[in-house]
Amino acid sequence: MEKIKLVINHQPMELEVDPSERLLDVLRKELLITGTKEGCGEGSCGACTVLVDGVSYASCLTPIANVIGKEVLTIDGFNQTEQYRLIADAFSELGASQCGFCTPGMIMSTYALLLKNPHPTEEEVRLALSGNLCRCTGYNAIIKAVLLAAEEGKERGIKW
Amino acid sequence: MVNKFIPQSLKEALLILSQHDCYIMAGGTDLMVMKHRSSGLLPNFDKDVIYIANLEELNYIKKEDNKIIIGATTKYIDIMNCSLIPQILKDIIIEIASPSLRNMATLVGNIGNASPAGDSLVGLYLLDAEVELTSMRGKRKMLVSEFIYGVRRIHREPDELITAVIIPCHDFTLTKWKKVGSRKAETISKITFAGAYTIKEGIITDLRLVFGSVSITVVRRLELEIKYSGLSVTQLHDKIPEILSDYGQFITPISDQRSTKDYRYKVAINIARDFLTHIE
Repeated sequence: MEKIKLVINHQPMELEVDPSERLLDVLRKELLITGTKEGCGEGSCGACTVLVDGVSYASCLTPIANVIGKEVLTIDGFNQTEQYRLIADAFSELGASQCGFCTPGMIMSTYALLLKNPHPTEEEVRLALSGNLCRCTGYNAIIKAVLLAAEEGKERGIKW
Repeated sequence: MVNKFIPQSLKEALLILSQHDCYIMAGGTDLMVMKHRSSGLLPNFDKDVIYIANLEELNYIKKEDNKIIIGATTKYIDIMNCSLIPQILKDIIIEIASPSLRNMATLVGNIGNASPAGDSLVGLYLLDAEVELTSMRGKRKMLVSEFIYGVRRIHREPDELITAVIIPCHDFTLTKWKKVGSRKAETISKITFAGAYTIKEGIITDLRLVFGSVSITVVRRLELEIKYSGLSVTQLHDKIPEILSDYGQFITPISDQRSTKDYRYKVAINIARDFLTHIE
């Protein structure tokens, strides 16, 4: 066990954990932050996507030792924000979420994209979400929702 | 009980490696899959682990003496976005895994993992890349193509760390990358191909065909490159069947869950033919 310091959802924390414990398990099991989902457990589905220092990470493949001193943002820390509301509204308006299991990951990948590129093309959206699998929607609704969120963000002058 | 080490500097890491036989964890995108058990359980490491992802002194890309040097903890995303990096390596990286894995994974990790389906390796063989190995005993360099000698087999001594990849600069007329997988993203290759050529005054002075996922290690044949250099474009086009048959002997794929032996062989040859036919 090691004492590990990091920031999770804006809260500085010091955790006593095994350095190889997956960030996903630290979130869900130790801290009961359960918005982040586990799908495949091998980095292929994107359900566990979180942001680490503003870029997307697969939390199922991240040993906690790799995020020492870093800022982790999960859907649970993001969902209080205006930016989240905008993305979530676009998803619900266009039916971009059905069973909902992939949605936290989809939204975190969307946020990671818009942080870097507030006005993406459709192709850029497809590339940015290429690591997030959805078995319900067939993706088109999700891609449109991200483009709508970007459009709305521009109109409302949202700073990503 | 295994030890877990989180060194704060390269020096400390080398000291640990001189005393312990460790798994070296960079981005974790291969090791965490290999050692994964089920949800909620710790990954199953059967020997000590050293975590190097946060060693900032190995996070760099620089150019020295016409060579690009990439530090061990530099992530794919930073390599892909760096103007110093040859186009073929960028073309390869953008098709590896997914955006989040490219934010985590390192090029050096792909070398250390030495999978026959490691996409970046095909580019590194083509570019004559070397690894820099560092230990308390000193530094040494080795071609990536010699460093990897089998499926997940590398010439790293237990006390050594791969500290950098060194890529010589080339002036190819054209480079070509082709990856065949089940889908566009998040796919492990069935077949990969990297090609490059240099034409000077109508003569092909350098012709490289490199294949991945079709043998236990990446296939690059220096003797065939010598055999087919110095031809004009027309002469080369006449020799395409001979070139394909020469390379064909070294394309010895297996059937597995991703593809079959026959499919891999046939598609590898077709991609090579397409590459050679388009040389002009």
